Amino acid sequence: MLLRIDTSSAEPLFEQIGAQVRALVARGELTAGTRLPSARDLASSLDVNLHTVLRAYQDLRDDGVIELRRGRGAVVASTPDHGPLHEAIAAVAVVARQLNIPPATAVALLKEALR
Amino acid sequence: MTARTPVPHRVATTLLALVAPLVLLGIAVAVAVSWADDLPDPVAVHWGTHGPDGFGSLAAAIVPMLVTGALLACGAWALAFYAGWSSSTRRIAAGSSLGMAFFLSALMLGSLNAQRGLADAANAPDVSTPLLVGVLGGIAVGAIAAWLTPADEDQPATVPVDASAPRIDLGSSERAVWRRSVFSRTTIVVGIGAVLVILVLTVVTRIWPLALLAVLIAALLGTMASFDATVDQRGLVARSTLGWPAVRVPLDEVVGARVTSVRPLKDFGGWGYRLGRGGRTGIVLRTGEALEVERTGGRVVVVTVDDAQTGAALLNTLADRARRA
Repeated sequence: MLLRIDTSSAEPLFEQIGAQVRALVARGELTAGTRLPSARDLASSLDVNLHTVLRAYQDLRDDGVIELRRGRGAVVASTPDHGPLHEAIAAVAVVARQLNIPPATAVALLKEALR
Repeated sequence: MTARTPVPHRVATTLLALVAPLVLLGIAVAVAVSWADDLPDPVAVHWGTHGPDGFGSLAAAIVPMLVTGALLACGAWALAFYAGWSSSTRRIAAGSSLGMAFFLSALMLGSLNAQRGLADAANAPDVSTPLLVGVLGGIAVGAIAAWLTPADEDQPATVPVDASAPRIDLGSSERAVWRRSVFSRTTIVVGIGAVLVILVLTVVTRIWPLALLAVLIAALLGTMASFDATVDQRGLVARSTLGWPAVRVPLDEVVGARVTSVRPLKDFGGWGYRLGRGGRTGIVLRTGEALEVERTGGRVVVVTVDDAQTGAALLNTLADRARRA
């Protein structure tokens, strides 16, 4: 897996890390049972504070994306098949383009709906 | 690959991988010959499940051990002398050469010593103690030889990273890490098979020290079963999931990383942490896609891992950045 963070971005680093792990899991690039690097390893790899990674991992655990096990570190949790969601999102994208809805508007509507 | 730098530390390699093992074998042979008058004739040279079952002259006890040890030493020395660009190559060669010389010497002297003063070699005791001393001592002596082998000096690259090697887009404010694990089913299957065979042999022959060999093999294969490869701001690290062994390539020693394809038996003579053709160091856990890193000093590291393209591209990109800094 490839994780990247942008230190010039306004988005907090822990959210950047979390968002990428979520995307990798959703796309099936990280499968259930895959071990993530330990928080300490990841923190030194990305040269960020350990607590930044721990916060990202805790958020991911709270949302059921990963499991944190004592001694085994972070492991990707088994999640339901995301296939239907990808199809629905693709459909939303097609409709938004047909109706000439700006991406920012579409995202705002989606966020509203998910709230 | 362009003109390679000369292989370093050839004197140390010759002393540790060739001279020391040959001297050790020579001393063992001299001691064995000095015992000639005390030994039965013929002596026992082979043991079966019910004590000695093969007999021969003293020369028949000495020559096979001497020839095996000398051939192994010459082979290991030649490998390290002509292809030992990497300290891991030199360490493995020196360790196995001297360790095997000790093992063979201990086995020969131990089995002969137990026959001194016997009238009939058929009464020779079993060889489990020499075997145990040989295995444990051989590992210890081999470890010392590996430890004495000079390490590689830091060799920062003086040229830019190979321009034809893959890259990824990485903004100047971005940091990235690539991580991938590789697991070897072959090692597990072969390992369990080997351990079971040895355990059965142990029970059948009642040579109990063999069980220790099974434990050692299990531990060794455990370290070789699974590796984690990481590329980040420090370079490439490929480390056994158990923590040891590990191979590290700092960014400033990266000449170029790319994807290659590995055939374990053909390219590396097997699976695990291997020395391959042309002095490449390999972490070879399966057939197929692998990350190949050419580093300074004519050294090449290969790690069989999925998505090697991304790993290679990130390593080259980060090495570019480190070169500019």
